[in-house]
Amino acid sequence: MNQFIIGLFLLLFLALPPVANLLESIMIMHMHMQMPLLVVSGFLIAKYFLRRFPNFFEKWNQNGIPGIMLFMIIMVYWMIPRTMDDALTLQSVQIFKFISLPFLAGIPLRDSWKKINSIAKNAIIISFTIIFFAMGWLYIKWPDPLCNNYLLIEQITLGWGFMTMAFCMMIYLAYNAFVDPSKYE
Amino acid sequence: METAKTTFKEKANKALGISPEDALISKSYLIVSFTALLLGGLLGLLQGLNRAGLLELPSWFNYYQVLTAHGILLILVFTAFFTIGYFYAVLSHCLGGLLPKVRKMAWIGFGMKIFGFVLAVIPIIMNEATVMFTFYPPMAASPIFYFGLVFIVLGVWMLAFGAFLQVANWRKNNKGQHVPILAYFATGVFVLLFFGSIPVTIEVLMIIPWALGWVETINVMLARTLFWAFGHTLVNIWYLVAVSAWYVVVPKIIGGRRFSDTLTRVVIMLLVVMNIPGGFHHQIVDPGIAESVKYLHVFMSLAIGFPSLMTAYAMFSVFEKTARKKGGTGIFSWFKKLPWGDVRFLAPMIAMIAFIPGGAGGIVQSMNQLNQVVHNTMWVVGHFHITLGTSAVLTFFGICYWLVPYISGRVLTPKMNKLGVIQTIFWTVGMIFMSGSMHWVGLLGSPRRTSYTTYSDNATALSWDPYLMFLAIGGTLLMIGVIIQVYAVFNMMFFAPKGETEFPIAKAEDDAVKTPYWTERWGMIIVVMLLLVAMGYVIPIVEFIVNAPPGSPPFKTW
Repeated sequence: MNQFIIGLFLLLFLALPPVANLLESIMIMHMHMQMPLLVVSGFLIAKYFLRRFPNFFEKWNQNGIPGIMLFMIIMVYWMIPRTMDDALTLQSVQIFKFISLPFLAGIPLRDSWKKINSIAKNAIIISFTIIFFAMGWLYIKWPDPLCNNYLLIEQITLGWGFMTMAFCMMIYLAYNAFVDPSKYE
Repeated sequence: METAKTTFKEKANKALGISPEDALISKSYLIVSFTALLLGGLLGLLQGLNRAGLLELPSWFNYYQVLTAHGILLILVFTAFFTIGYFYAVLSHCLGGLLPKVRKMAWIGFGMKIFGFVLAVIPIIMNEATVMFTFYPPMAASPIFYFGLVFIVLGVWMLAFGAFLQVANWRKNNKGQHVPILAYFATGVFVLLFFGSIPVTIEVLMIIPWALGWVETINVMLARTLFWAFGHTLVNIWYLVAVSAWYVVVPKIIGGRRFSDTLTRVVIMLLVVMNIPGGFHHQIVDPGIAESVKYLHVFMSLAIGFPSLMTAYAMFSVFEKTARKKGGTGIFSWFKKLPWGDVRFLAPMIAMIAFIPGGAGGIVQSMNQLNQVVHNTMWVVGHFHITLGTSAVLTFFGICYWLVPYISGRVLTPKMNKLGVIQTIFWTVGMIFMSGSMHWVGLLGSPRRTSYTTYSDNATALSWDPYLMFLAIGGTLLMIGVIIQVYAVFNMMFFAPKGETEFPIAKAEDDAVKTPYWTERWGMIIVVMLLLVAMGYVIPIVEFIVNAPPGSPPFKTW
């Protein structure tokens, strides 16, 4: 229950106009801080829903695959440059952002992550690593602004943000591949 | 066979203390450390007297040269050698003796560091590297100074890898167990030393071709940013060393138990993870960074305050619990039950108390508007002397009174304890005078890193003089403190009566909750740390590189 309140509080805090405005004013903060934090808020809120509606999740997300697919679709949707622009110009898309990321990405992620096996987990991290490298490349190299609301320098910054995140994920994957926890644990 | 050997080694360690080979490593590090304290302290006194207008320094050894040497000796040599000597003793004690391989690495690291320092000090003495201890452009020192820095960093890396090998080996032999708490602190410190020194290495590698004249200009803002990513991490390395003694050693000395093991490990993790991006607050008034980015960075800096507040709570909880067990009563009078006459407690306790104003001053400096009031004034110097010079250093001094006898196979005599108490009093009073007046005169506008000047007898500048006089008095008291401390360390190392000294490690509470195993997953902790570093630095670094100004040629301002 505690986690639910923290998650809800985080969601409300992020939705406060000054907080939302500040984070959305910097492109990389919009995409790499506000959006992940919205997912985190959903991840925390999930505890309540999982306890309250166990049958629903058992019926529709038995092996975790549908949930993780939904999570991936929502994440990829929010990586399209156009969607970020729309979130800033259209109130309805902004509302959709605040609903989709916590409730359609955060909650399914929490339910699915414990249900899927380690191969699937690694596959997801690998695919995000590839997507992040590709997005980074795109944002750094594209000569024109992809979002109307941000300057080119912000786009390049976001590109490097994607690259560094991808590097971190690669380090994690390498750590997973080379370090055998059974030797230590 | 292997197990029997280990058990024998462990038994031997318990009976005889540290093995002579491991003790020699720690002793060597401490000797260098305290020699640097003596020299650095002396230079500090010269600086203080000059600043108060009491002493005119000769032209061949000017104020800025003294300042550079004082900073390098105390910030890089004294603290780093102490930290390494202390934590290598910890690793040896807690993990059943150093591996022969690790011991070799410790010596190679020692050699590299000494070689690096000699290289760095020569140009300082020759007045070729008077770049202050924050070595960033556009002031350029002799290239030899930077070569020295490269070797220092390589030495640090060698020692960090030695520590990681030692811990990994212990974990392999003790599957499923938690790394002993002090070794856990050591891991955190060496992780920070390694990752924190990467940005400064990049900075120095940028500077070398520029100082050699191979490239004409350098990106000043980028270099500053890389410097502070290391600079602030170093600050928290000192803090983490001090905190290790507060959490683990002090409770044992006062006859109590440790506060929650989980909380201790979480505090270490938080300090490791949040540290490197925290360095950005040193650039809060630097140009070229959007206000909104600076504003977001304030959160990152202040986040470091949370583990500190947890520590404050934990420590006072331990004090009260222990004192009440000993019959202490009342809201505050249980304080009397604490062993104030024991230097091993008194010094770290005063260090902790000093961290209250020190931490508050730090919060002031990490805020945009407040920083503008005190930026580049003596306030910053005062803050630095109350945090590093008191909270960290006084704890280091407190550690000496059991660590040095422990590694030397000697004991702390009541006489030496008394001397230690006197030293602590000198240090405290000296610091109140010096740091207090620095803070105040800084608020009045007196700049830092400036030789004594009255600015053509300007009334405002003259009004600083009384405070600067207090600064000189404080500096003199501190010098007496340095002399006593160095005497005490060498006395305990070579002349104190032989005997056994315990390595004081407090136990956890009997009813303590089991520590969760995820705290041991350093791989994950490091990945999270790198993610935060990336989040903190991508914006300014991309900005500085993509929108780079023409760059600066090397300047020699002295």
